[in-house]
Amino acid sequence: MKRLQGIPVSPGVAIGEALVMDTEGFRIPRQFVARDSVEYELERLRQAIEAACQEIGSNRDVVSRELGEKYGAIFEAHLQILRSAQFCDELEEMIRQRHYAPEYAVSRVMRRYAEVFQKVQSRNLADLADIEKRLLRHLLGRRREELSGLTSPVLVLAHNLTPSETANLDRRFVRGFVTEVGGPGSHTAIVAGALQIPAVVGTGPFLTEVSGGDLVIIDGDKGLVILHPDAETIARYHHEAEQIRSLAARLESLRDLPAETADGVRIELLGNIEFPYEVEHCIQRGADGVGLYRTEFLYLGTEHEPDEEEHFQAYSQVVRAMGSKPVTIRTFDLGADKVPSLPSPEDERNPALGQRSIRLSLRHLPMFRTQLRAILRASTLGDVRIMFPLISTILELRQAKMILADVMEDLEEHHIPFRQDLMVGMMVEVPAAVMMVDHFVEAVDFLSIGTNDLIQYTLAVDRSNKDMVWLYSASDPAVLKLIEQTVRAAQRKSLPVNLCGQMSSSPTYTMLLLGLGLRQLSVPPSAIPEIKKICRGVTIADCEAVARHALTLENARDITNYLKGELRKRFPEFDV
Amino acid sequence: MDQPAATRKVVVANPSGFHARAALKVLHLVREFAAQVEIVLDRRRASAADMLQMLALGAGQGQELILEATGPQAEEVLDALQSLFAAKFHEEDDGTQNHP
Repeated sequence: MKRLQGIPVSPGVAIGEALVMDTEGFRIPRQFVARDSVEYELERLRQAIEAACQEIGSNRDVVSRELGEKYGAIFEAHLQILRSAQFCDELEEMIRQRHYAPEYAVSRVMRRYAEVFQKVQSRNLADLADIEKRLLRHLLGRRREELSGLTSPVLVLAHNLTPSETANLDRRFVRGFVTEVGGPGSHTAIVAGALQIPAVVGTGPFLTEVSGGDLVIIDGDKGLVILHPDAETIARYHHEAEQIRSLAARLESLRDLPAETADGVRIELLGNIEFPYEVEHCIQRGADGVGLYRTEFLYLGTEHEPDEEEHFQAYSQVVRAMGSKPVTIRTFDLGADKVPSLPSPEDERNPALGQRSIRLSLRHLPMFRTQLRAILRASTLGDVRIMFPLISTILELRQAKMILADVMEDLEEHHIPFRQDLMVGMMVEVPAAVMMVDHFVEAVDFLSIGTNDLIQYTLAVDRSNKDMVWLYSASDPAVLKLIEQTVRAAQRKSLPVNLCGQMSSSPTYTMLLLGLGLRQLSVPPSAIPEIKKICRGVTIADCEAVARHALTLENARDITNYLKGELRKRFPEFDV
Repeated sequence: MDQPAATRKVVVANPSGFHARAALKVLHLVREFAAQVEIVLDRRRASAADMLQMLALGAGQGQELILEATGPQAEEVLDALQSLFAAKFHEEDDGTQNHP
């Protein structure tokens, strides 16, 4: 038995078999094909080899032209390795005689050659790995989720998960995540929250100690990962999982009750979602709407840019499901490096401060317009709102609104219906936007505070850096002052203001946020029952007193301790 | 392979060994001739038309290889290969001695 301590990012306990993904991507599991599909699989292999060869050939040509023939030669060598008759014969033999799936055959053959190369101390070992990766990518293509051939529940253990990897996982079978690196704001954390499964990040290296199929426990409450647990530990966690289920059942009973404070102030509890199917989680928990619909999944895990129809389908599915309740769609919020269809950024030494989000949308107008058209078309189906992320200056906001107006005009000309009066808002997540919030409130219909980025930019700390994670805190008084200032500005104009970062889903902060004047909170659907229970158990006057005191404290630790203490006093059942 | 029409002994003289770029040059050269060539190191064989087999030999500096050829241009191809090995695959010319 071995225990690893990491950072808990999504609560719950999971016990199950490990699926190990290493730095090379997935470890290919043993997989076989049916006798009658051998010919089909062989053809699939040939096509993948052909596609890989084409790709390598064009790399060779580009590199030769730009850097000279001698640099292109390494690609020529890769090409010739793939064209090796022996290599192809061995692969075909494995598929034909042993009925290996092509993916498995490739990884087996490559593993064997890697051993030979290693034995003779060949300098070309890395080339083999490169070729293997490329070939697998072509074989798996868009069907990457089948890669793991998942037919039973697994816990995914990885060095790091890229957004496209998580987007491609077969979520029906994933019961938990552990990554060696990453912090509370990492993509894994968000996806795990969306899937409502436990996750632990930043454990440090351990993947070499575990193999696929090993029994693992993930304790997403304490940030613990237990490899090869003994019988007693397993029994204890089974018992704990049972208790958690019964607490969840008690919270379930709150579903149809409104999120209303004891003194009768109605709080709007909205859901943050990443994938369309999560709208069901919102409905199951009685969400008052979708406060943040992230649209990045449309761009991830695919080679082409999503077209208007793909956008429209994804939006209309959620809007229809929510009926007359609001759905706030946030426009594209990624960096250029994550989107294969965009040119790679050249000067991106500091991606968090670089070309991302609205900045990228404003540079790639056709892409931006496609998304806006789809959102506008979906607006006739319900209460759709548009939200622009990462706005730093008034000029950016004006530009985004101008493009929106232009797209509207275009739709009008073509007699395509949309809601003229749809609400347009912005994320407040850059400190500059808070400084200028008095101007921004004149130009938008609502504000939404994104605490994940706001904390990162205010404290100048990378939220996915496990060495700096101690500095990354929603309790920091500087962050609280920025939130307060934003809420006050919105109140003066009677604008709705929402808070949709991870801060809103932690019960520790609920009283503080209500006390600061927030009446909308947008949280992962799984957090709705807990937060609702707190809303229903407090009065606004009480919350205001908590907020006032918190604002007098001078550091994050004191504030966190104070807030936890106040929560424990009123809700002893929340173990925080 | 049938009884070879010609054989030749060569030595891998360049410091970085018989690596991918060297093998690539062999592959391209052999293609220009009407001949089939096999390279033998100890008891292992590689076809000079197969990149992967050649690399799997893993021949390092100072090792001796036997080249065996069949076909109408067996002698000619081995002459050309012998010059290529002797010239250390022209590595100095493309200045990549340390970066195969």
